[in-house]
Amino acid sequence: MATNTSQPILVVEHINVRFETPDDGPVIAVDDVSLDVAPGEFLSVIGPSGCGKSTLFNVMGGLLGGYEGRVSVAGETISGPHASIGMVFQEESTFPWRSVTDNVAFPLELIGMPKDKRIERARHFIKLVGLDGFENRYPGELSGGMRQRVSLARTLASEPKILLMDEPFAALDEQTRLLLGDKVLQIQQDLKQTTLLITHNITEAVQMSDRILVMTYRPGKVKRIVNIDLPRPRTSEIVGSEAFGRYVAQIWADLREEASRGMKDDETRTMRVDEARS
Amino acid sequence: MAETVRVKKAAVAAPAIGPVTLLRIAIVVTLLAGWELLAASGWLYRDVVPSLVAIGSAVADLLMHGEYYFNLGVTAGEIGVALLIGGTAGVLVGLALGANRFLSKAFESYLYYLGPTPKIIFFPIMIMWFGVGPGSKVAMGAVSCFFPIVLSVAAGMRQIDKVLIRVGNSFRANTWQMVQKIYLPAMRHPIINGIRLGLGVGLIGTLLAETKLSNKGIGFLIIQAYSLFDMPRMYAMLIVLFVLAIGVNALVGRLGGLDSIKRA
Repeated sequence: MATNTSQPILVVEHINVRFETPDDGPVIAVDDVSLDVAPGEFLSVIGPSGCGKSTLFNVMGGLLGGYEGRVSVAGETISGPHASIGMVFQEESTFPWRSVTDNVAFPLELIGMPKDKRIERARHFIKLVGLDGFENRYPGELSGGMRQRVSLARTLASEPKILLMDEPFAALDEQTRLLLGDKVLQIQQDLKQTTLLITHNITEAVQMSDRILVMTYRPGKVKRIVNIDLPRPRTSEIVGSEAFGRYVAQIWADLREEASRGMKDDETRTMRVDEARS
Repeated sequence: MAETVRVKKAAVAAPAIGPVTLLRIAIVVTLLAGWELLAASGWLYRDVVPSLVAIGSAVADLLMHGEYYFNLGVTAGEIGVALLIGGTAGVLVGLALGANRFLSKAFESYLYYLGPTPKIIFFPIMIMWFGVGPGSKVAMGAVSCFFPIVLSVAAGMRQIDKVLIRVGNSFRANTWQMVQKIYLPAMRHPIINGIRLGLGVGLIGTLLAETKLSNKGIGFLIIQAYSLFDMPRMYAMLIVLFVLAIGVNALVGRLGGLDSIKRA
């Protein structure tokens, strides 16, 4: 396990994030969350909706300021987006006016790489995500899963030290999700890519991770960190194994409590709104 | 026998020329026939409704003389410069309003009030500032086309998918890269639409100003023909202008259309 043998590359220390909401007043979105990721490690952060995991994603990616705590990459404290961190978003984020190649070459264009060189690099990463043959297509001509792969290739093309993904497959159907998971696993193993995945999907998390950090429902705290000792290289076939099932059951036991708290909270809020109306 | 052949032919030809096209042709033919009847009837004073032959020869006459092209060039130049000034200002101000909530709250309601106001009321001021020549026409055209462009650009900027901006930020794009590689391409549809609307009202503003007070341009020629009561010539100029306006609009529409095909 890479976790304990080497110096962590990403260190997140005592992050606190508070929001002012019009309905509930101040809400603590992230409460004293600390984590670290070792080079080459695959860490997943899992939690029910409303646990502040997307907020944590934005803090680590440098897109959200005004938090307490410290995020550092290879010892350097970050303030704002950092070249070592590549983000893949949950939403549809390809540029519809750019071809697949030009989408993937986007980060290279920003750093002023010459055209022929960046197209060559872009093609390499397009091939890596299995989209060769679609280089000149536009996102509008591709399926949702293919577009997410374009986004992934675009972020990989910037060669980040840490790949940070926020539920990248949330909008896809289960089969596509599993197959894309295979793709990500394979790429992660080939590139020894350090990866931090934010997700609410237990299967996805167990399938891919070395460690899983389970978060509590509001305020989002670290509930538990689970080591996943499943053999690598892995594929989606592991989903059928007994050990896999045990991990899923264990994490579900943790998550279930949090998710039902979230559900109750939603119900009370809805009832309160109904009362206010009547 | 001959009857059946004709019927068959008509049935075969029908899909090629649909009922809509037939109706359109019928409308034009009816209008032209009605016009010609009115011209021949002698009910109206002299040349108020000149015959189609007279208008046709006036069109030919118009297109054979250099004077018309010179004035057409003046008007086209005025509209071009007006669109350049009003359009650039519109895009820049629109970007600023779209980017800044405070500015948009402070100023945009004024723009909404001024937008539908007929700009011709500013014409006397423009004449005092820029003279009787093309300057005041350019000013009128620029003021006219500024409004639809600025409102369309500001609205377009607010409709940009926020995640695309987060993508740009996460890759650490600088301000210029954000504008050039994300904001402008993401807004190309509202921008093209705004320019299309702007071109339309810019054309109206410029021509209206020319017909009010000028010494050059198509509007000037039209009013000159009117005051000399040369009705065939006046109608000829209206027809040519009509065709040109349709052509320009189709051209701008094509620019926007090509883009959306690529986007698929």
